[in-house]
Amino acid sequence: MNRRTFLAAAAGTTSAGLAGCFGLLETRTAGQPPVLSDRPDAVYHPTHVEGMKMEAMGRSGDFAAAVMYSYPHRFWTVSGSTVTKQSIQSDDAAHIMVAVWDPETEVVVPDAGVSIAVTKDDEVVSEEVIYPMLSQPMGFHYGANFGLDGTANYTVEVDIGGLSGVETTGSFDGRFTESTSIDLDLSYSEAEKENISYENTPDRAGDQTAVSAMTMMDMPLGIAPSADELPGATVGTASTGDAEFVVQAVEADRFAGGTHVAVSPRTPYNGMLIPRLGLEMTVARDDETVFDEELGAVLDPEFGYHYGGDLDALESGDEIELRVTIPPQVARHEGYETAFLSFEPMTLSVA
Amino acid sequence: MRPSESRGIDRREFVKSAVAIGGMSALSACLGRSGDENDDDEDDVSIPAGTDDPTSLPDRQHAWNGALPSDDHGNHVLASHHVLLYADYVGDGAPTADERETVESALQSLERAFEWSSEGLLFTVGYSPRYFDRFDEPLPDSVDLPEPAALTSFEDPDLDTNDVVVHLASDSGAALLEAEEALKGNTDTVNGVEMDAHLGGVLDLPEEFPGRRTGFVGDGLPAENNDVSGIPDEADVPEESPLYMGFKSGFDKNQATEDGVTIPEGPFAGGTTQHVSRIRLRLDDWYVEQDQEERVSEMFCPAHAEEGTVEGVGENLGDDSGAGDCVETIEEDARSAGRVGHAQKTARARRDGRPVILRRDFDSTDRGEAGLHFLAVQEGISDFVATKTAMAGEDLTDTPTIRQRVNNGIQEYTFVKRRGNFLLPPRTHRALPTPRPE
Repeated sequence: MNRRTFLAAAAGTTSAGLAGCFGLLETRTAGQPPVLSDRPDAVYHPTHVEGMKMEAMGRSGDFAAAVMYSYPHRFWTVSGSTVTKQSIQSDDAAHIMVAVWDPETEVVVPDAGVSIAVTKDDEVVSEEVIYPMLSQPMGFHYGANFGLDGTANYTVEVDIGGLSGVETTGSFDGRFTESTSIDLDLSYSEAEKENISYENTPDRAGDQTAVSAMTMMDMPLGIAPSADELPGATVGTASTGDAEFVVQAVEADRFAGGTHVAVSPRTPYNGMLIPRLGLEMTVARDDETVFDEELGAVLDPEFGYHYGGDLDALESGDEIELRVTIPPQVARHEGYETAFLSFEPMTLSVA
Repeated sequence: MRPSESRGIDRREFVKSAVAIGGMSALSACLGRSGDENDDDEDDVSIPAGTDDPTSLPDRQHAWNGALPSDDHGNHVLASHHVLLYADYVGDGAPTADERETVESALQSLERAFEWSSEGLLFTVGYSPRYFDRFDEPLPDSVDLPEPAALTSFEDPDLDTNDVVVHLASDSGAALLEAEEALKGNTDTVNGVEMDAHLGGVLDLPEEFPGRRTGFVGDGLPAENNDVSGIPDEADVPEESPLYMGFKSGFDKNQATEDGVTIPEGPFAGGTTQHVSRIRLRLDDWYVEQDQEERVSEMFCPAHAEEGTVEGVGENLGDDSGAGDCVETIEEDARSAGRVGHAQKTARARRDGRPVILRRDFDSTDRGEAGLHFLAVQEGISDFVATKTAMAGEDLTDTPTIRQRVNNGIQEYTFVKRRGNFLLPPRTHRALPTPRPE
């Protein structure tokens, strides 16, 4: 019983209050093609491609953030090795996305622990932890479907908890750990939403390719630097689970000393960085194991987000084995949900 | 459902709403309404009277367990209805002896009016660090009472700095409202007993949130009050659940003892500290995205889910959630099950094998939102901080599966909005104490 019905009851009336207004059926989502029945265990082109609407950007503390929205859509969450489809709920009005990056270097910050509180005229409409996600056009971002209260001006309070479980190096050392909060305006309208591009793609759906990255956006995307752009020497690139792993060796003061082996996993086609996976590395020299450890997640201004291990030196002839122990713990938009789940050990020889 | 049951639920819901709204009109409506009905609801039963002999009551304000009923497993069952009143001292400087006497007299009036039990009335009076700031002398080292602060990296709560918090609890919503109105000076008699004094001239008592907070706990109350924001329409809050999240809590073995939370020495020996946070609950994903097995996994531990340890709301667990047995496998669970449980993480904060906080938390519909007033007493606030730190599990985020708030217990669904720390002095010093009472 809420206050209104209580007071009504206390006053001896029988009014049950006004009936609520329910959201209109989403024509776009109602028309979404079903998930393909024969998806490859790899990156594939989704059944449809949606645009999105950039709403606002802001910065506070160590972070910059942007909020965008699109049609509500299905996505898949990943816990350990379990993939769970999250269908669109009847009251979902929009898929709200938040991007978080370093305003100084424009490096995208994964794993920043993001929740959003949506308010309208200071009334709370929703508050949720939003998931780290991978989509083909946007790469790494945070997102979830939300019910809204119709066409209105909303405030999205983006609460950033700060990096967790990620080491920071170089000029990033000690940054991104303080929590902060950024208020962004979101002017949502059913009509404007219907103007967001939407295309069914039956001719390409299921093909082993990806929707192009939205590089025209005035916002940094989580695209991993190419091997050429990375500092140090490239040991090689290995591939498994349809992900590519660029292995780089560098000597620099900001790392523990000796040689820092940086492994930078990225998606095929678009080269989007893939965060939050478990990775072990063994380095064998002659018949001896000189390194056998789990690699830690590192955010570095030059390498970006990668997995690193430090050893005295890599020598010519060393055999590197990489093993993915935990698949990337990020939710997936359509086209990524069957990829990056099952991995074989990778081996590279140091030239 | 039989007609009498249906009436009973309407009435329970009505009483809970009356407590949430408060004030004399709610009290009159509550009393009038229960008088109108001729069934055997608890509010029609006379509320047991208290005692003229204050020395017959325990010296510890927090000595509630002896006054609470137990369930079949020996767990103490907290009173159903709760009000928290955050108040400020109206005077300048230090309180006077007269004011102290007024407060003590008002509290003793309540103790004469109501039996010290959940059928009657249980209450505590607590004082914040800000209250003690008015004195020249600091609190003694035997009292561990820092200013409230954010306790995880991902929260940004408003910090409660009122001088005083009064916690009233009763199974009878009418008794609770009567006691509140009597403390405010809005009624002269409570439960047939005349008040000798009220707090109105000494404390500025609140009428509305956030100063006035309300709540409830107990079988059925959450399910009956699920029409609030934060609980999705599709949610099936179990009828028998005492709390919104669908499980029992406060198992005897997972609670500190009253002895364990009592300050052992110094001028406040016999007292305790109280932490109260207000937590907004957002249970859409809890109830819609997750199934019961996943909820068990995140509330207790993955092993409980795998082994089917928890039936329904967890009545079968007896007096121990068993989450202590999951502590050793927490790192392994993070990797293999991809998540860790709330109780499993919390159980890491123990002293001599026993938890260090005594939870007396309750759900709420304040502001029309599903919420939880997480109230706990402990010897020192650092015991709470240690427990909260273990519960937050930020140390576990090295494993890729565990993020600050995802797959990390119930942190995806709980949003801490306010925190406050208070000292509950022993009964002898409960009225506007100095930092060094004699």
